[in-house]
Order: sequence, then C-alpha cells, then structure tokens
Amino acid sequence: MFFVKVLEHRIHLHPSFFGAQASDYILDQLYRDREGSNTGTMMIVAIIDVDDISEPKIVPGSGYAEYDVSYRAIVWRPFRGEVVDGLVSSVVNNGFFVDVGGLSVFVSKAMIPPQLKYTVEGATPSFTDGVDQTVERGSQVRLRIKGIRGEMGQMFAIGSIREDYLGPLLQ
Amino acid sequence: MASILDQDFPDEEEDDFNPAPEIGSDDEADEKPEANDDADDAPPSRNERSRSRPQRDDDDDVKDGETGTDGVVGFGRDEDDEGDEKNADDDEDEEDEEDEDDEEEDDLEGQPSRKRRKKHRRNQFIDAEAEVDEEDEDEPEEDDDLPGEEMHPDDLQELPPGADRDDRKHRELDRQREAQFQMDVEEEAARLKERYGRQSRAAGASSAIVPQRLLLPTPDDPRIFRMKCKPGKEKEVIISLQARINERANSREPVQIFSAFERAKPGSPMSGMLYLEARRTEDVQAACDGITNVFMGTKPLMVPLEEMPDLLKVTKEKQLEPGMYVRIRRGLYQGDLAQLAEVEANGTEVTVRLVPRLDYGLNEDANGPMQDANGQKRKRPVAQRPPPRLFSDTEAKKRHGKYLSKQGGLSGTVWTYQNKEYVEGFLMEQLRLNHLQTEDVNPTLEEVTKFATSSTNDGTENLDLAALAATLKTNTANEFLPGDKVEVFRGEQKGVSGRSIQVYGDVVKVRVDPGNGALSGRTLEAPIRDLRKLFREGDHVKVIGGSKYTDEVGMVVRTKDDRVTLLTDSNQTEITVFSKDLREATDSGGAAADSKFDLFDLVQLDVQTVGCVIKVDRESLRILDQNGSVRTMLPSNISNKIERRNNAVATDRDGNEMKVEDTIKEYSGELKAGRVLSLHRGFVFAQTRERAENAGVWVNRNSNIQVVAAKGGKAASAGMDLTKMNPALKQNGGAMPMPPPQAKGRDRLIGKTVKLRTGPSKGMIGIVKDATADEAKVELHAKNKILTVKKEMLSLTDPKTGKAIPGGIQSLAMGRPPPAGGGGGGRPPSSGGRTPAYAAGGGRTPAWKQDAGARTPAFGGGTAYGGGGMGGQTAYGGGTSYGGATSYGGGGGGGGGGGGGGSVWGGAGGGGGQSTWNPNTATGGRTPAAPPFPNTGARTPAYGGGTAYGGLEAPTPGYAGSAPTPGSGYQDQPTPGGFRAGVYQTPGGYGGYGEGAGPYGAEAETPGGEGPRYD
Repeated sequence: MFFVKVLEHRIHLHPSFFGAQASDYILDQLYRDREGSNTGTMMIVAIIDVDDISEPKIVPGSGYAEYDVSYRAIVWRPFRGEVVDGLVSSVVNNGFFVDVGGLSVFVSKAMIPPQLKYTVEGATPSFTDGVDQTVERGSQVRLRIKGIRGEMGQMFAIGSIREDYLGPLLQ
Repeated sequence: MASILDQDFPDEEEDDFNPAPEIGSDDEADEKPEANDDADDAPPSRNERSRSRPQRDDDDDVKDGETGTDGVVGFGRDEDDEGDEKNADDDEDEEDEEDEDDEEEDDLEGQPSRKRRKKHRRNQFIDAEAEVDEEDEDEPEEDDDLPGEEMHPDDLQELPPGADRDDRKHRELDRQREAQFQMDVEEEAARLKERYGRQSRAAGASSAIVPQRLLLPTPDDPRIFRMKCKPGKEKEVIISLQARINERANSREPVQIFSAFERAKPGSPMSGMLYLEARRTEDVQAACDGITNVFMGTKPLMVPLEEMPDLLKVTKEKQLEPGMYVRIRRGLYQGDLAQLAEVEANGTEVTVRLVPRLDYGLNEDANGPMQDANGQKRKRPVAQRPPPRLFSDTEAKKRHGKYLSKQGGLSGTVWTYQNKEYVEGFLMEQLRLNHLQTEDVNPTLEEVTKFATSSTNDGTENLDLAALAATLKTNTANEFLPGDKVEVFRGEQKGVSGRSIQVYGDVVKVRVDPGNGALSGRTLEAPIRDLRKLFREGDHVKVIGGSKYTDEVGMVVRTKDDRVTLLTDSNQTEITVFSKDLREATDSGGAAADSKFDLFDLVQLDVQTVGCVIKVDRESLRILDQNGSVRTMLPSNISNKIERRNNAVATDRDGNEMKVEDTIKEYSGELKAGRVLSLHRGFVFAQTRERAENAGVWVNRNSNIQVVAAKGGKAASAGMDLTKMNPALKQNGGAMPMPPPQAKGRDRLIGKTVKLRTGPSKGMIGIVKDATADEAKVELHAKNKILTVKKEMLSLTDPKTGKAIPGGIQSLAMGRPPPAGGGGGGRPPSSGGRTPAYAAGGGRTPAWKQDAGARTPAFGGGTAYGGGGMGGQTAYGGGTSYGGATSYGGGGGGGGGGGGGGSVWGGAGGGGGQSTWNPNTATGGRTPAAPPFPNTGARTPAYGGGTAYGGLEAPTPGYAGSAPTPGSGYQDQPTPGGFRAGVYQTPGGYGGYGEGAGPYGAEAETPGGEGPRYD
C-alpha cells in the first residue's frame, strides 16, 4: 500500500563541501541515498519535498557536519494479507518468484493450486494447468502476501495464489 | 467414593437380597393376612407406604441401583443402616465416618420429604396433586410412580372393606421380615469383616483422605525379602512363582508368601532382583526353590522396614502400545527405529515392525557350500550391515529363492524368508522388551515417514500421528513457553487456538484467540498432550531442535497437522519439521548464528584456493571453491575469512569494469546470470536465485564474464569517496569543487571555435554546435559537415587568430571564462598539473631517440627538472626523463616502446605502464625507487647519470659504486632481458665510461642468459 510519510534522514557532510552550496549537496545526497531505498519494512518510492534541513552540527573528532533532514516521501509498504500484482521473475520446481515492485515474493508449491503443475517445456519451466493458466517467467500474477521478512535494506515475502481470483492474470 | 462403596458393603448386600423377600412377601401375606396384629402401632406413613410398594418395587430396584435406600427399605431401615455402620466401623477413622454420615444424610434428606409428601397426597388428593407436580420436576423418577400411586387410591375405594387392613398386615409382615433381615445382614457384615479384615483395612487405606503415615508398614506386617535372579528373567520368575502358588494352593503345603514383585527395568540397578512378601525367610526359600533362573545361592535379604515403601513407589511407566516407536538395542538393527506391532499380554515380549537390512545373499561366498545342512554353523561373515530397505521378494528370489516362501493369505504381501516373516516389506520380529529402548526414542521425521508412507501403496501419507505423539510426548514438558501460539488438537476443545500464558507441569493455561466463538478471550487450561504449537503460513520461525535442521530460520509455507513446511531464509529450500521443533523467530538471519562464517562469505581454504560459503550448518560449512567444486569443511579447517571489499574492481572479458553487486552473465557455458558476490584474483563468485544448487552461487573466471548491468555506483557512494571530495586529493587539480552542479545549464563549449587535434580531420577548425558531457558536435569550417568528436580531441582556439588556447576546454568545463588571449603565461596554477604530462611526453622523446645521442635525453632531463620545480607530480615526470636519460634506458627504451608503455621504464615493465613510478610494476622500472633495495643510493647514481649526461665525465665512480645494487635487481627481474641489445650498445656508445661499463657488461650477461624466460 502506498503512503505519504514524513521521514528523517541524517547526512554527514565532508568539510570540503562546506560553503554556499552545502545545502544543495545535502539535498542531492538525500535524493541519492533515500529514493528507491528500502528500510526493511517499506520502500521509499519518491521524495515529495524536503520539510526541513536542520542546523548542521560538527561531529566531534571527524570534522563532518551532521544534518538532519526531514522530508515527505511516498512509501510503499506491503502488508500481510494484501493482494498485489507482480511480475514472475523466475520459476523453480518448488515454486516461483514474483517481483512486486522492489519486493521479491516467493510462491511456494504448497500455495499454488494443485491443478497448476510444474512442467518444463524446452528450457522454460512453468506452472500450468494445460488450459489457460500458465505461470512462467514474465507472466503477471496476482497474489496474496502471506508473510514478510524484512531486513535492513531488503524485504522478502512469501505469497499464495491458492485462492479464488488469484493467479496469473490473463493478458 | 471407594470407601463409601466399601462401607456400604452391607447395604449392597441388602440391596441384592431385598427383592427376594419382598416379592415373596406378597405371596406370603396373601396366604396369612392376619399374622400380625400389632401392625396398628405402625405409623400410618409406613403402612401406606409399604402398601404402595409392591407395584413399583421392580422398577426401583433396577433404577436406583446402588443407593437402594428408597422406599423398599423404608425410613426405619435407613436408621438401622446408619446405626449398623456405626457399630461396624467403630475402629474406623472419624473422618471416614463423617464422610459416610454425610452421604447417608443426603439420602435421608431426599427420603423423608418424599414420604411426607406421599402421606400428604394420600389425604388431600387433588391439592396434593398440584403440589407434587412441582416437586416431581426435581425427582423425575417419581413420574414412573405416579400412575401407580394415582391408581392406588382409586382402587382402594373399590376394594372390599377390610382389604385395606389386609394389605396393611401384609406390609407389616414385610416390615418385620425386613427388620429380621437387617439383623441378618449385620451379622453377615460382621462375619465378612472378620474373615476379610485385612482387605477391609486395605480398602480403608486406599481412601485418599487417610494420612500416608498411617499406611506405612508396621513391624507386625509381613516383610519383604529380596532374592537374586538372572537379570532380564525377573518377569518370568514372577510368572512361574504365580503358577506355583496356584498349583499348590489347595495342596497340603501352600506357598507361604503374600506377594512377589520385581522392579527391574533394563539397565536399571534393580535388574536381577526379585522381591517376595512373606513372614519368614524359610517361606521365601521354599517358594523359590526349584524355579529356574533364581539364584538360590544368595540368601534372601530382608528389606529394612523403612525402605519397604520406597520399593513400592510407583514410577509412572510408559505403557507400551502397538504403534509406538522404539529403538532396537542390539544386534543387526541396533539403533534402528521399530514400530510396535503387537504387545504380548505378559509385557515381556513384543512384536515389532522393522525396515529390514538385507543383502539377499549378495555378500555371501557364492561358491562356498551352505553348511547348514550338515549341522555346522556357518560363521557369519563380518560384513557391513546392509542399508535399511523394504523387503523385496524379487531381490530375494535372485539368489535366495530357496529360503523364500510365500505365506498363504489374501493380501499376498506376507513372505517368509530365512525363517523370518516379512509383511508388506517390513520385517516382523519378536523381541524381548529388554532388547528395546522405549525411552528417548526421538524418532526423526525421516525415519517415521519410512514407516508411514510405505504402508500404503497409493503414496498417501498416513502418519500414525497418535502413535507418534505417544512416543514424542514423553519429554515435552519444556515444549511450550508462555507466549507460544498453541492449538488444542483433540478433546472437547479441539480446534481452539490461543496463546499460552502460563505453563505448569503438564498443564498449559491458554488465552483463547478471538474467533473461537464463546471461548474467545477466555482462559482455559489444557493438558500438554492435547496441545500443539500453531503456526500459520507466513510465520517466521526457527527450528529449535529435534532434527538436522536445528537453527534454520524460515517462513512457514504449509502446515498440516503436526508437520510444518517452511522455506528457509538461507537457501530458499523447503524443509518439513514437527511443529514442536519450531518457535516463532524474532531474529532474522540464517542458520547457525553462532558460526563465525556467514552464508556467502569468502573464505581462504589454502594459499591458492578461496571459496564461497554456500551453506552454514551447525558444525560444518559447505563451500564452493574457486574451481567450482563443493566441499564440506569444518569451520576449524578454514584458515580465515576474506573480508568483503565492496570497492574491489575487476574487468570483464570486454574490459568493462565489474564491481560487487553488478549483474553479470557468463560469456560461454551455461550463460548463467547473477549478481557479483565477491571478486577475488580473477575469479568471480556470483549468486542467482534462479538456481537451486549451491544456494545459487557459481564461480567463473572474470575473463569469461560479461557485465550486464552495473549497479549504478550505488555501492561506491555508500561510503564517501574522499578522493573525489577533497580538492587536495584530486588528480586534476580539484577543478570541480562540487560535482553535481557540473551538469547544469548549457554547455559553455557550444558556439566556441575549436580545432581538432587528432583523427582524420586533424587540424581542421570548426564551431561546436552541441555538446554532451564528453562529446561535441563540431561543424567544420572547411566542409559542410558536422562531426561528433570527443572533447579531448578538441582544443579551443581563438576564433580570430586561430591559435589554440591551452586548457581552454578544461576551463570552460569548469565554468570559468576562457582566457581571452592565448599564451602560456596566464596559465592558472591549477592546470599546471598537466604540465608534467607534457613533460612526460617530452620525457618519452629521449627514450625513442636514445640512439641519436646523449643530447636529447639531456634535453628531456632538462624538461623534467624544469617540471620538477612545479610540484610533486612534476618531479616524477622528471623521473621519466631520467629514465630516458639513463644509459641503460637506451635499448630498454626500444623494448619499452614495443611494450606500449608510457615511458621507458614503465614500458619495460609491461605492467600497465601508466607511469614510470608505478610501484605495482614488478619490473626493473621499480629499480630506482623500490624500497626493497637496501641501497637507496641506487637512485642517486641514476640522477648522477642524468648529471653525467650533462657533464659526461665525472660520475663513473658513482656507477661503479652502485652497480651491484641494480645488478642484483636485474638478476631478479626478467625485464632487463630486453636490454640485451641496448645495454651492450649503450656503454659502447658511451665509451668514455670505462670502469662504469664493466659492471654493466657483467650484469648484462646474466639477464641475457635468462632471456628466454622473458620471451
């Protein structure tokens, strides 16, 4: 789900940047550091604006200046139970991986309807029921997030398509 | 209750006896109606009551069973009964009696009220009816009476006069008989009590409320004697003792022991002991005499009085049930899991199901005759025990067809092979209990599934969960912790889920989750054996024990009954474990957090070999080494961990830069793709999720890798790159204090007049029409053509004079206005940094022109020294020229040029050759500067050499002195091989060197000899 959230970020600025353009650099650094980053629970999609850049403080011992920047950003946070669409990134024999934005979701065989069978045709593995539903690399899939594990800098989730209205989307 | 039953003993007797006289009494009463005249004295209630009895008698006896105190016996009887009790139980405890009284009173309370009611009813018929109805709801059994009762008064009216009285007489008789009978019963009770006094006492003793100390044996009681017997045969001895007692019970000399027991368990100190309760030692000996396996040699030992209770302490013993799992203690199947198929009644022998370990005669000597026929025992060949596999008749038929026979049966899956029975592939074996291990069986899921899946042919799993649970539930006391999510899986509350909030003993207090109906939010207590941990899909859990997966962390993908399948975090594989082995994990991270190696760490295996950790187990690591082979190693065998260097850079086969985290692809082979994990000496470890084996890690040489997508320098910007930030460290003079603003705005070069410095259009002048960061579109003046050229190919020219403006483009890029006029005078000092580069170019010149004579190097040297005045880098430039200046550079210069180096020495080194002083160049180029040389004087003569060219006379001694030093250097380094031509010539050219040339000549031979190595 997408949210607008006020966040804070602390930036250390090397003394050689001290000067009139320091704040430019801070902003630049902020965008570079935070946009597209993952906090472990959410992903910062875009920074909307910067609310405040604090007065810098010199960090004793290093000479760096420390800025606290508060900014508003659009964040995306997946929730357990949420239904999301994603793109299948790879299919292995015990399930398949789906990229939902920056979140990688694994759908285990146990969470795939039994009529979808693992088959390998040529070099492309897929889960298919032989009729109209096929999950292979590149298919769009709608799934329900069953569990999320977040670590600093990355998220991982498992999902299920073993429910009505979930599974490969018909193109 | 037990005590009450016992004390009610007479009562029950009475109950049994009651019907007979009662029913009989009717007949008797009919025969002699006037027998008792004193019936008038009897209270009317009793009279009438007894009159109402006969009709309902049978009903009541059936219905009221043991209470039996209703109507039949009547009020009087109750009292009698109580008195009776009191007499009989004089020697009993007060508590006991009180308890009894309470019970009696309960009965009484119900009783009189009923009687009173009945009397009432008799007198005021209709009103009473209404009243009764209400009360009857309390005592439904009365309903059955009502029709009879109702009938009765009506009948009464119709009866002939006197019939009422007649009936009364009957009742009177009944009552008297009853009283008589009461007396009989009392007597009977007394008699019984006398005969079975001991039992009675014992019965009283079993009451829970008798203090334990009163039950302890007294010196008057029989003593317990210990006898020794063959260990393991205790039960048999007891059984034969019992047989003997029965046998001699009615003989002249019965066995004089009260009881016999044993407390042996396999391996316990009590094995081989037998206990008999008797009065005298002789009785014990007489009882045991002649029984096999009893060691009569040891005298019976009298167990001290105070130890007797300990001997009988009940330790809860696990009841063996078919379906339970046990382990075999010895023999071929030692340690194997077995399932109990049958338990013999005596509890000493069981039949177990085993997965057989058979080799079907494959390891036998085929030529050796089977000597069993001759009665000689063949020695069992000491062979490895075969792996457990289900019995296969086809295999057995191959070589051992003669030992195989099919047993009759419908299923056709029962075979006899070598006198052993195989059912559905399992070996059925009869074993003694002491050959089995019933405690701490801890079957693993793998073992259990072998029993489960193979028992049905359709492949469906039918784990006998209950049996398994019975085995597993032994040491589950610490299975649950407060806070665990649990589910009641059997019993009344089956299906209820909640969180445990308290665990004590075998009971868990559970706060029920919302969504469980009326129980939601309530707290209930459930025994551990009815509980199991509950996990839902997506839960992040950790394996805490019980399997080889201990410490794995993962997410639950499926739960089925007791089994939970989870996807491990570490390598994305699915494992199935029991829910009891799981706990909710709060910590993320892979397995074995205590291991000092993490997944995907780069480790040093030996001097040449590195590897990447692909699996961290509790005690071992699986490592993919640089050659692509996988080894399992102990952490202690690994010399060290190579710290990850995020800024390591390698080149791919196209020469592109490759960093950690970049997406790469194999150029040949399987075209594996992946993300770079680490770069190490020409090997690239990469990981991909698409591949299951080796946790997706693969390794290849960097020359066989193509970069697909760089990660965009994100990794680099993670840490601040001071070389870029700090102007002082900038190679190009820190022209750009702030990198980001650079790209802003229109490129200042646009519209400027430029001259092409190289390429086919070299020398042409044009106007820049458009520019990007490093390219410009130039509209040529001469031709109507727009060329796209790199900016460094351009030089800014003055549109009027056509002269080049040195550094003009750079200054434009820096956002400074270009210098108005040409001329080197106005050079900004910062761009002075470039001068040495030119100087270096100048320095190169002498190298090329070495043969032409000494003057050129002298010039070059001059330039260099001139440059040296401008700063540190320039000084190195001077070094370059020095290289040119040196005589030994001469021929080397030629070789160096061939190597494509930027300078003489660098070129000779061939190791990148960007700079003369590149310390990485492991060549002669290092010679003057290399620290390993003890004599830094080496450099001095070199400079001296430079000077020498200036003067051409003096420094010969300098050369001589320093000659050994570079000499040794030359020996080490193949580079001078390139000097073969030059060096010989050069001294020749410098004929004036005399002594100086001598050592060089000597030196030159050595590398010359090693020349091939260089080639």
